[in-house]
Amino acid sequence: MENLGIVFALIGAAAAAIFAGMGSAKGVGLVGQAGAGVVTEDPSKFGKVLILQILPGTQGLYGFLAAILVLLQVGIIGGSFEPISVASGLLYFGACLPIAVVGYFSGISQGKAAAAGVSIIAKKPEQSGKAITMAVMVETYAVLALLVSLLSIISVGKLGV
Amino acid sequence: MRETEYAYAVARIRSNEVSLLTSADMEQLMAASDYAAAVRILADKGWDIPEKGEKFDIAERELSKAWELIAESAPDASLLEALVIGNDFFNVKAAVKCVFSDREPSECYVYPCITDTELITKAVTENDFDILPEFLAKPALEAYEAVSKRESGQLAEIIIDKAALEARIEYAGKAASGLLLRIAELYAAAANIKTALRCRKTGKSRDFALEAMCGCKTDNGELYANAGSTDSMAEYLLTTEYAFLSDSVKKGFTAFEKQCDNSVVSWLESAKYETFGPDPLVAYYYAKQAESKNVRIILSAKASGIPAQAITERVRDIYV
Repeated sequence: MENLGIVFALIGAAAAAIFAGMGSAKGVGLVGQAGAGVVTEDPSKFGKVLILQILPGTQGLYGFLAAILVLLQVGIIGGSFEPISVASGLLYFGACLPIAVVGYFSGISQGKAAAAGVSIIAKKPEQSGKAITMAVMVETYAVLALLVSLLSIISVGKLGV
Repeated sequence: MRETEYAYAVARIRSNEVSLLTSADMEQLMAASDYAAAVRILADKGWDIPEKGEKFDIAERELSKAWELIAESAPDASLLEALVIGNDFFNVKAAVKCVFSDREPSECYVYPCITDTELITKAVTENDFDILPEFLAKPALEAYEAVSKRESGQLAEIIIDKAALEARIEYAGKAASGLLLRIAELYAAAANIKTALRCRKTGKSRDFALEAMCGCKTDNGELYANAGSTDSMAEYLLTTEYAFLSDSVKKGFTAFEKQCDNSVVSWLESAKYETFGPDPLVAYYYAKQAESKNVRIILSAKASGIPAQAITERVRDIYV
């Protein structure tokens, strides 16, 4: 049972990487489908469509970042591994939840917003900036969740529990 | 099927919507000096125009291209067959009539359709209806027997038209598109209203009228009872969900049909803002259908020298 703390921390790191990554994969895939539809009809719009497709991919990076930070904090990366308390492990787990949950849902939502933006590019390519702006608005909440997760993960190490 | 699976198809449709004819294009067509000038305008808009030695219906070709696009891009095109299934029934009707009047059926077929027209010709000429798809086989056989045994072309027509409307509603139900089902229900109701009025006008019995009407949301008994005059029908329609057809029914069948088409185009508006799901595909097809109808009306009018003012009365609203 002495390693239970590290188990919880690892589950948290895994959740951050898995769920945020799933959200991004779904979002990027959805925009990719819509983008392929536009590019089938007009290949010259590939560049504009690609920008929209990239947008929902950031949640996966945020989840990856949070996971790496947890692994560094608990010493799994860096070679200074030492068992941590259950309370500390649960705190790491909790710290990972914001980016895991918000990353999943915002990735999908941003994908839908960006796929809708692809329709704007299809009909009015000169308005692509507005399509990008609307999709980017969803990013705000993923960034806020990432900040909460990062600050929490850093702070858990300093609590000494 | 999840709505997001239509993302690819909707994006392709949006790309093609930019080439739909606008109101300004329609006015330009109506103002064309003659048939040849109108055809040149269409050619400039990217429509296929017959070259020397070629012969095809310009509007029908454009509609077929729209269906090909939908069938190619939709995740499961069979779910949207309600859009064109009416043409299959029309083709069976044409084949039966042509076979009994020694005409070549291929001249009467309409496109796009689901069933291979050569198969329809073979089934009707060889009296082998089992080779047809299940939804066509029974009405085709009944229509054939109506003509061959009872010598009633009218009965054959009723059988096919009724089966077509009912099949359209049934197939629309499979598509998970509220828009498609609503449109199928409207056209079925409109057909029942016209049948009720015609039957009362020609002194047909109630039983005959009810047999001719298709099963849909309308109360067919009430329709027949109120079909004594267009005024009583208009009054009755006000109490139903088809109140928006009330005014037009008093103005005659041409105005009534135009109102039905215009109502459909107004319903398509909501699909302009949908990003996923089958509705944008349905809207595109009906937009193309309205566009093709208008082009056909304008070209026919130009070919027979009808003035622009007279054309305007018949031209439908458009989606763009």
